[in-house]
Amino acid sequence: MERLKANLLALLVAAHLLAITLQALPAPGGGMSRSTWKDPTVQAEFDAWRVRLNGWGWDGTTAQLEDQLWDFAKGFMERRDQVLTPFKPYYKHAGTTQAWRMFVAPHRYPARLELDVLEGTTWRLVYKERDAEATWRGRWLDHDRVRSLIFRFSWRPYRKQYEMFVRRLAKEAARDFPQATSFRARFFKYQTLSPEDTRAGKAPSGRYVEVLTVPLGGAP
Amino acid sequence: MSAPGRWARWVNWVQERETGETLALLRIALGLAVIGTISTVAAHDLVAFLWLDAASGGYREVAGHGFLYGIIGVTPATVWGGVALGLVSGLFVTLGLGGRLPAFIALKAIQELTDLNGSAGGSYDALLTNALWLLVLGDATRTLSFDCYHRSGQWRDDTPILAIPRRLFLFQLVLVYWSTGAQKVSNYWTPFGGFSALYYILQQPTWHRADMAWVAWIYPLTQVMTAAVWLFELGAPLLLLGLWARRWPESRLSNLARRLPLRGMFAVFGVGMHLGIEALMNVGPFSFISMSYYLALLWPSEARAALDRLTRAVSPKAAPG
Repeated sequence: MERLKANLLALLVAAHLLAITLQALPAPGGGMSRSTWKDPTVQAEFDAWRVRLNGWGWDGTTAQLEDQLWDFAKGFMERRDQVLTPFKPYYKHAGTTQAWRMFVAPHRYPARLELDVLEGTTWRLVYKERDAEATWRGRWLDHDRVRSLIFRFSWRPYRKQYEMFVRRLAKEAARDFPQATSFRARFFKYQTLSPEDTRAGKAPSGRYVEVLTVPLGGAP
Repeated sequence: MSAPGRWARWVNWVQERETGETLALLRIALGLAVIGTISTVAAHDLVAFLWLDAASGGYREVAGHGFLYGIIGVTPATVWGGVALGLVSGLFVTLGLGGRLPAFIALKAIQELTDLNGSAGGSYDALLTNALWLLVLGDATRTLSFDCYHRSGQWRDDTPILAIPRRLFLFQLVLVYWSTGAQKVSNYWTPFGGFSALYYILQQPTWHRADMAWVAWIYPLTQVMTAAVWLFELGAPLLLLGLWARRWPESRLSNLARRLPLRGMFAVFGVGMHLGIEALMNVGPFSFISMSYYLALLWPSEARAALDRLTRAVSPKAAPG
């Protein structure tokens, strides 16, 4: 009986190791979105790899590389899904999910959230990510879990959640700024500066994206 | 060696035992991680905002849910109940009260709460649930626990427990590093991109604690660190290989593995990296949970010696031996 228990335990440990290793193998995961791939950060990566591959003799364009990678990744993810299917109940019920895509690439075109309220005819900045002055609702917005949300909201697949998030914050703004007539959320999307440009004192240039405005019930 | 012979060796290896100090320290650290992970959400008044629907103070029209909340429903009472259960189970895990059950309840609480909004979290949630599962599998309350005191009238119990849970912690830690390293295919992590990844990551506003423009003046150092982190992550499996090789019969490789301070080198770089991340970035409980895993590098005899020294320092008369 003891020997049987020992063999059973050894089998379970082997199954555990197999399950977690298979799921930890590199995979694009949540990055499988064509709209996400169109982000300038991702496009710049494709372009850099295209230049390198051209140098190694592969004759193709960035668009071709992207299409080929998409087809490969799609097929890979389908096959991966089949392989992982028997283990899915184990990941789900034992909490053994393996998703370790951490800082796989720097986001060269990040988006910084800004929130404003319209008072009279002037927009007043009340929150800006990592700003020391504009810190309205910073207790919420600077928490690591909300940082994670805000990071996602600048990506197209999260648009609906972003809209709900802004509407919810507008309710708070209506309470905190009773004179305000509108609440605005937007992301300043810019290219991060190279070390040389930073040392030269340049400021990042960019543009506002994902601009949402919610009317408030304030006095006109 | 034949397949049956290999299997027999595997079975014997899985059956190896050691005293439980290291697993107990892991249990204490992870219990605190559970408490910290849940309590910061409550302390920042974010329970409703993140985990409930708009009618109950959340920002989403309909809250998401995992397995259990799909059955019991997502209401303020059930979510706050989950928060309370998570905190109490985390406390029980820390104290070593109730055997394996509190670790399983804590695992489910973390999993179910974070599943309520999968966008509001990170890898640290999975890192924590993986660790809690290993505490469920192991006899983590054998020593340094209220269970131990209740059972034996002593806080310490030298009865050996299975070593495999501690070893699985090590395997998990190495797997995390290798997996994330293998997925760093961006140019910026490689020589082709000038090893500039860390510099540019530190320029992203999402995670940093303060403006990081100043790192432009120490850019070469960030390049060295980028290369070092990338190689450390990709090379993490060498730790397991080295520890395994020490058990081999006399050979050049096994002698080298015995001579090199593998665990020390791994711990110094790894813990240093996490302290650096913690100093510069707000990544929630990620650093604390990651560093908790490093306790698995301690042999139980080392953990026991450290505990003896601590006991002597705190209460000279109470020290054993």
